[in-house]
Amino acid sequence: MASQSGQLSRRGALRRLGVGAGALAVWPVLSDEGLAAFARIQEGAASAPVFLSAAQYAATEAVAETIIPEDGHSPGARAARVADYIDLLLSEVEPDVQRAWVSGLVELDRVARSRGGRPFAELPAEGQLALLTELSRREANPTTPLEKFFKDAKDATIRGYYTSEVGIQRDLKYQGNTFLPEFVGCTHPEHGYEP
Amino acid sequence: MQYDDPDKVQAEQEEASRTAAASIKPGQVAYDVIVVGSGAAGGMAAYQLATAGVKVLLLEAGRTIDPSREYRTMEWPYATMRRGRLPVEEVALGAPEYNMIDRPYGTAPRFEKYRKVLSYSGNTFTRNWLVNEKEHPTTGTRYAWVRARALGGKTNLWGRVSLRLSDYDFKAASRDGFGEDWPIGYADVAPYYDKVDLLLGISGTKENLPQLPDSIFQRPLKLNCGELILKRAIAKMGRHLIPGRAGVTTEGVANKYRARCLGRGRCGRGCDLQAPMHSPTALLWPARDTGNLTIRPNSIAAEVLVDPRSNKASGVRVIDRLTRESMDFPARAVVLAASTLESTRILLRSTSRNHPNGLANSSGTVGHYFCEHIMGPRASGFLPVLRGRTPTNDDGRPQSIYIARFRNLEEKHPAFIRGYGFQGASGSLEYPSHAHTTPGLGASFKKTVRENNPAFITLSGFGEVLARRENRVSLDPEVKDAWGLPVLRFDYRFGDNDLKMAADMAETAEEMLKAAGAEGIQVVREPLTEGWSIHELGTARMGINSKTSATNAFCQTHDVRNLYVVDGGVFVSAGCQNPTWTILALCWRAMDHLKEEMQRGHV
Repeated sequence: MASQSGQLSRRGALRRLGVGAGALAVWPVLSDEGLAAFARIQEGAASAPVFLSAAQYAATEAVAETIIPEDGHSPGARAARVADYIDLLLSEVEPDVQRAWVSGLVELDRVARSRGGRPFAELPAEGQLALLTELSRREANPTTPLEKFFKDAKDATIRGYYTSEVGIQRDLKYQGNTFLPEFVGCTHPEHGYEP
Repeated sequence: MQYDDPDKVQAEQEEASRTAAASIKPGQVAYDVIVVGSGAAGGMAAYQLATAGVKVLLLEAGRTIDPSREYRTMEWPYATMRRGRLPVEEVALGAPEYNMIDRPYGTAPRFEKYRKVLSYSGNTFTRNWLVNEKEHPTTGTRYAWVRARALGGKTNLWGRVSLRLSDYDFKAASRDGFGEDWPIGYADVAPYYDKVDLLLGISGTKENLPQLPDSIFQRPLKLNCGELILKRAIAKMGRHLIPGRAGVTTEGVANKYRARCLGRGRCGRGCDLQAPMHSPTALLWPARDTGNLTIRPNSIAAEVLVDPRSNKASGVRVIDRLTRESMDFPARAVVLAASTLESTRILLRSTSRNHPNGLANSSGTVGHYFCEHIMGPRASGFLPVLRGRTPTNDDGRPQSIYIARFRNLEEKHPAFIRGYGFQGASGSLEYPSHAHTTPGLGASFKKTVRENNPAFITLSGFGEVLARRENRVSLDPEVKDAWGLPVLRFDYRFGDNDLKMAADMAETAEEMLKAAGAEGIQVVREPLTEGWSIHELGTARMGINSKTSATNAFCQTHDVRNLYVVDGGVFVSAGCQNPTWTILALCWRAMDHLKEEMQRGHV
């Protein structure tokens, strides 16, 4: 149920999430925008960021995909909609956290332009990897604002990716959360198993 | 799996609780016994009394719950908008907040913008059961006090580790000279441990370890490959790694509200099969089916009332959580099972001319000898032989491993007395927290995280904190909770012995992972904030001498014959074993005593 602006209505979003109409009254903490955005993520619809501008969203997505890229084994952060997750969180956090993220992207673009003549999102993949790899050298003890931004971006990407269906099921191939008549355990004598 | 909106279920239960509470007023029914609290101890007390034909009124300070709908056992993180994060108006305290912010935590300026401030156990699954620190302040020294106010209390989220104490614990003072022995020994409690095992179900393996007596076990949980590798490595050091002993039925019990474990994991968010011991389904509902148990939710026990002529407890003064109405419920006997510190708080509040320092406190010990388990020191790493193997289901069980205490059994450690055990696990995790400390980025980073995940192994220690008289809680002279009741002031710190033991835990955790061949070992040496184990004990301890203890060996208070304290308050020392199974056994034993006293006409 799309409203005229193309945005999902609150009621429509809740219905798509499988939440009954009764929940409307007791779920006031979710913003209409946040709900609608989440419903779109669930349905695999095109992104419509609620906090980030289109350019900021593109940069965030490029950073996330560079940190956890698609490889021969599984899709990466882009397919896992990590930028949507980060956008949702940013829409709810304190202004200083929002400012830090946005100024991190600005600084990243500045460096990208000075090196490759283009904003970060438009650099070739190798250029993106080279730039972020440089920032990762001091990730255990980041000092500059850009190094700190990288550390924040990496942590957020890890959270977004490994809490997604892509990360859990397709990358890690997590086997749990299923009905198991009996836990199987180890059956390898070389590890110490004794039948 | 589609789950109901938890806040909707909560609203329904709030409404049901309001209606139920309004229908239960003093003077309608003559109750024999009032039980305060509905967790493990309150559930067991109500069950033992109601099934014996005793008319019981159980007071729960919070609302009722609907576990079949509130427990989102199999919900994936991506099923919710914030991937399991709390709503924006709520916040859970973390170790830095506990350690840096002045008490009361909930009213600190930085938390002003939040509607709800939860203890560190607050998450998307527990947030509607735990108390709001804004309504339930504490003062004094730092303490991570986790409180659940909802039917079932902390059994809604407990860790399920179910261990017996041994005479290394009951008679610890005789062995090393510190503190006091319990007035009972293992032989006194063993028959009750057996009964608890059979009634509630416990999974484990028979090991014949004198420091960790066996239960009557149902089907044990198996070890995975990493755990077997560690077991074999530390056996050479004379240490025992055993499958976790879980208060979970793996073969079923005779209880229509409970099913056996089906290996889904995620037990800490509540199991909608009710395979773990959970006070409402395991104890309270079967008790209610006898027709002898009345449960009044929203009932805050303000104080125990005493008849000054007979010096007996005459009932409980209740404040209704919603209406704030005060009402006195009379009874022949009162059983306090509100959790260690809440029961103590009630005793300290129950002052009268004959009991100026609080009830059952002529000894002056109530609030003192506060003890628990110190935790935090831990180590984790990766077992190279398991790197990159095909992921297996390593979560499909309610417990992983336990390493039994090995310090100060036959040999004496030069730096500290008493001991500690380890909980831990190996294998694939749904959320690879090690990714945050894995260096780099890109395809190589992603591959490392993926290949390391099945090889992960971790150990985390739980050590006995000595019961020292100077560690105590008392009533704050000024600060009140949202219902106008004085709150607890903590005067509690880890001592020298506790901290030396914690340092040794980190050393031996690292040593054992090294012995197993683990690589990339990361060691955490700092203990977590006091209270983190959620095992607070000892503030109304039992003893033979009424001048140095609050209750006798049957949890009956020395001063008031028809008043019992049946939660962790009666522990004389903490041991290093998780306390729930001992609380259940001691409570059963105490209720047998109370029934005898009632039959003899003493109560």
